[in-house]
Amino acid sequence: MLSDRVRRNLASEFRGSILAKLGVVLVLLVVFVAIFAPFVAPHDPTTQSLDNAERPPLGIVQTEQRTTSEMVDGEVQTVTETVTIRPDAAHPLGTDGLGRDMLSRVIYGARTSLIVGVLGTVLAATVGVPVGLIAGYYRGRIDDGLMRFADVSLAFPSLVLAIALIGLWGRASVAVPDPFVAAGFAQEMPETFVLPGTVIVVVGVVNWVWFARIARGEALSLRDQEYVTAARALGADDSRIIAGHVLPNAITPIIVLGTVQVAAIILLESSLSFLGFSGTTLSWGFDISQGRDYVSSGQWWIAGMPGLAIMVAVIGINLIGDWLRDALDPGIEGEGGA
Amino acid sequence: MSDKTDRTVDRRSYLAAAGTAAATALAGCAGDTGGGETTETGTESGADEETATEPAEFGVTVTMGQMDSGLDPQNHAETNTNIIVGKAYEGLMDRDKEGGIVAALATDWERVEPGVARFTLRDGVQFHSGDPLTAEDVAYSIRRIVFNDVGIASPQSTDLGTLEPREGDSPPPVEAGDGEVTVRFDGLNPIVFQLFATNGEILRQSWVEENGEDYINRNTNGTGPFRLSEYDSGNRVVFERNDEYWGDVPEVTETTLNASSESSTRVNRLLADESDIVTNVPPQEVARVNESDLAEISSVPSTRIIFLQMRYDVEPFSSQAFRQALNHAVNVEEIVENVLNGFGSVTNQPTLEQFTGYNPDLDPYPYDPDRAEELVEESGFAGAEITLETPIGRYLKDVEIAQAAAADIDELPNVSCEVEQREFNALVQDVTAETIEDRPHFNLLGWGNAEFDASQTITPLLSSGGDLTMLKNDEIDGLLADAESEADREAREEILQETNARLNELAPWVFMHQQFSVYGTSTDISWEPRADEFIDVDTVSQM
Amino acid sequence: MSQGRFVAKRVFQGVGVVWGVVSIVFVLRFVTPGSAINAVAPLDADQETRQAIARELGLDQPLHVQYGDYLVSLLQGDMGFSYVRGQEVATLVFSKLPATVELALAATVVAIGLSIPLGVVSATRRNQPVDWLATLFSLGGISTPNFWLGIMLILLLAVQFDIFQTSGRAVAAVEVAAAVVGPAPFVDRLQAWLAHITLPAVALGTYFMALVTRLTRSGMLDELGKPYVRAARAKGLPEVVVRYKHALRNTLIPVITVLGLQLGTLIGGAVITEAVFSWPGLGTLVIDSINLRDWPVLQGSLIVIGTSFVLVNIFVDVVYSALDPRVVND
Repeated sequence: MLSDRVRRNLASEFRGSILAKLGVVLVLLVVFVAIFAPFVAPHDPTTQSLDNAERPPLGIVQTEQRTTSEMVDGEVQTVTETVTIRPDAAHPLGTDGLGRDMLSRVIYGARTSLIVGVLGTVLAATVGVPVGLIAGYYRGRIDDGLMRFADVSLAFPSLVLAIALIGLWGRASVAVPDPFVAAGFAQEMPETFVLPGTVIVVVGVVNWVWFARIARGEALSLRDQEYVTAARALGADDSRIIAGHVLPNAITPIIVLGTVQVAAIILLESSLSFLGFSGTTLSWGFDISQGRDYVSSGQWWIAGMPGLAIMVAVIGINLIGDWLRDALDPGIEGEGGA
Repeated sequence: MSDKTDRTVDRRSYLAAAGTAAATALAGCAGDTGGGETTETGTESGADEETATEPAEFGVTVTMGQMDSGLDPQNHAETNTNIIVGKAYEGLMDRDKEGGIVAALATDWERVEPGVARFTLRDGVQFHSGDPLTAEDVAYSIRRIVFNDVGIASPQSTDLGTLEPREGDSPPPVEAGDGEVTVRFDGLNPIVFQLFATNGEILRQSWVEENGEDYINRNTNGTGPFRLSEYDSGNRVVFERNDEYWGDVPEVTETTLNASSESSTRVNRLLADESDIVTNVPPQEVARVNESDLAEISSVPSTRIIFLQMRYDVEPFSSQAFRQALNHAVNVEEIVENVLNGFGSVTNQPTLEQFTGYNPDLDPYPYDPDRAEELVEESGFAGAEITLETPIGRYLKDVEIAQAAAADIDELPNVSCEVEQREFNALVQDVTAETIEDRPHFNLLGWGNAEFDASQTITPLLSSGGDLTMLKNDEIDGLLADAESEADREAREEILQETNARLNELAPWVFMHQQFSVYGTSTDISWEPRADEFIDVDTVSQM
Repeated sequence: MSQGRFVAKRVFQGVGVVWGVVSIVFVLRFVTPGSAINAVAPLDADQETRQAIARELGLDQPLHVQYGDYLVSLLQGDMGFSYVRGQEVATLVFSKLPATVELALAATVVAIGLSIPLGVVSATRRNQPVDWLATLFSLGGISTPNFWLGIMLILLLAVQFDIFQTSGRAVAAVEVAAAVVGPAPFVDRLQAWLAHITLPAVALGTYFMALVTRLTRSGMLDELGKPYVRAARAKGLPEVVVRYKHALRNTLIPVITVLGLQLGTLIGGAVITEAVFSWPGLGTLVIDSINLRDWPVLQGSLIVIGTSFVLVNIFVDVVYSALDPRVVND
């Protein structure tokens, strides 16, 4: 599928670019953490410990004024004292308002983001690429019709459409058993993790157009190539031509788009979770919305850590996307967004 | 579909009403007074009086957790809507800051005979439209609240007592006379004047009948100290001072009410001097507000109780053992201490300590996860999966409380529990659905009881006919009916105490805590908060 | 073809897309769980109200009649009635639209105003510190969730350093413009407007700004390496002319294409930004309507958003065609 020339380009670009290396490292880190979450996370991310709440991350000693109150004779009396909270090595990134471990939540959040990002992209590609290829190959009225439909889809900004669809269809999710815990490892970790099904379907549906356009463009330029016309002359079936000749040659820009899309969908998912439109509470966006109330009272890490996690993941993916684009074809309009 | 012009904003006269009325006669009459607290106030005689023609601008901005669900004062069950409509509308009586009953649109009230109350109306009161208040308007308003076939089916229908339906030649339940209104109740209604001091906003009959419900939801025509000047649905409501007000004209010339369900946004607005009063300051921000030069904290115990209510007719909540198990599973003390920093006090019955009918002999359910697990087994519903619905940003740290409680329940090996966050107005729509079958199975809710009487929480929430009820139990209904018809104060209180004891055992709720109202106020203004959570901007004065 | 015909053709296509938008929203009505009545009636509506709604929606009519009625009402500006809020949908939606438009425009101006110069400078001083900074910044900018950025901005610039307001919208841009009559009100209003709009505009515009910076930079680098640039320099044209009149102009063409495609992101981003900053626009309306299950308002908002998007795209295409006459001959 990837020709030798392409492979050589990839390798040489990679060697020459620090950023590409950095991107690969970051993405591998995120993927590793997401897959092996039960082993990497120090605690169960859902276990709360109310008297251990709001603990700062390592290296920061939090001194704050804390006001407690009690009712005496029908009146509220308050006591303000200066409280120093020291970090705890058991919670390197601190704890949130309910005492849950931030590091574990960030690690498990990677799972949600990656699953939604990858599955959503795969879904969008599965729908969009065939549509685009057909439109570009056959041209004429099929092309016109499909592209008009694409234009209409694009008229709805993805986030707005996603919110509307989730609002209408609900937030169905599936509790999938964690393979590692089921196999007997890491028994103190949650037995299932939540797959936000509706969200995955919605982000896929909302992003199919980008793949369709790229595929269409490729099909348009490839349909007149010699080997294609030759195959047709030989009486080969259209679908075999598309699948066997057009698609393999169109694959590189689709891959580049795919990486950009994963990044965009991760951002989209975090926005949806932030607004409360996700089917799971173990998500970076959700943690940011929870942490929002603590930012101004000084516990910045509750919202800060998940935000940094998003940045790390998306930067890594974007760097890989840049590497792929530089290596494969600098002229690609790869900026399909979400 | 509706006429958008607002008839009330045409007259802009800055002349204060000639001879502003001094303190209105506090003529409480023979019969019941009771020691209840408050909701609506006419202007306080203690507040500064504006007599001169100085149009000195004094604007006050209030930021709450939620906006209103429409401006019809009789078609809602939320405190926030009450706070907003209470600027323009008033009832027959009112309460002062301490909770004593004061005269408002009625100057005199008495119990003519058992079960019959007569209210003497104030002279010379005008609606914002300029029309005079008549006895027919008052009678109509009462009927519109109580009877489902007059105007609307109001969620406040039990808030004034049960009215005798008319039969044959018997006198009408609500009768308008010459400057007075007589109301006939089904039974004694022992706390009738407390009810009328807290509820029962008066509307103009022809204004209601001539305009559609949508118009009434976007405009006001009341008798209160403020008149509506701008309504931006869901975003903000602006009122301007009513200089023709029959009582003490407020010092405040204009008040804006807006909302944000994010506590950090509310606090930020306070500290950025964009708001003068903000509600529900979370405990972790209290110190920051106090440290600021611009603002300070005022906190009072509220009349609001927070609880997790369960549908008695839905499995697994149909089992008393299961309900009790949940009460043992949630560590309420720890939640109050750690999530609320002590800003709350643990409860064990639907009635708060200062209320009539509180049973002092009951204890809170001790935190005992082992006992909880046993009870779940006993109930036969081991392995149950339940979902706790919670509003967002309506009550102090509601989401965190729900999460903590759900996590406690989820810790039980034989129950799993998760939280579902719901926008408050949508949740309220569900909770006040016409039939119990449409109501949520398990949700967090708060209920403010401004009459300081056990019956006013139990009747709407736990009796078969209640507008928001999740429980239908003959024994409780019987006890409530007895209380309603008991003339002797002490005997009545005993009946209510027994009701509370029974409810503690039945455990239709996971009993959580009494909320403390934590307000952030600007140092530019002077305002005393109230336990009933009403924000009486008309009593705000400049520092 | 002439530019005029090009514009006409684009407008015609745009109308087609709008029709598509409207039709999809019509279909959505039947996709709502429960009957179409549930799409319109509030949950606590009684039987009588539901029947009235059914009659008004014409649900007893055949499908194509319903569709026709729907289109006709839309053309008359009637988007239905919100039973939940008790208001006309059209009134509600159009009253919130200006706020969102203002925010989106402000963000676009901020984004383009800063990013194009930055991209050019970055390209012309390649691999110097300025370039590294710009690259870093733009990489961060497309990787940061804008709601998180908004929260951090509020924390830093509105709370810690009391420079801007934390939330809300006090003054509309048109009010500022109208006040140009007198110096005093103008300055006051301008200050109030800036205090409220700056942070949300920056939060919203950052993604855009980062994107355009990257595109401009890579586009300029491409152009500057092309033969015609060398030729122009050899001819003795001043560097400034070479860069800005020729190279930049050619760079902007693909940049604008992408901009047009990315406008959807901007409008979508506006929804989140409005949520973070309590900006009372269409985005807030959409979210509130979903939470309140006010489907008619949601549908009306979708129609308006989709139509606005089409209009803006037509505008962008016209600008595009002015920059590159070759496009017109497509």
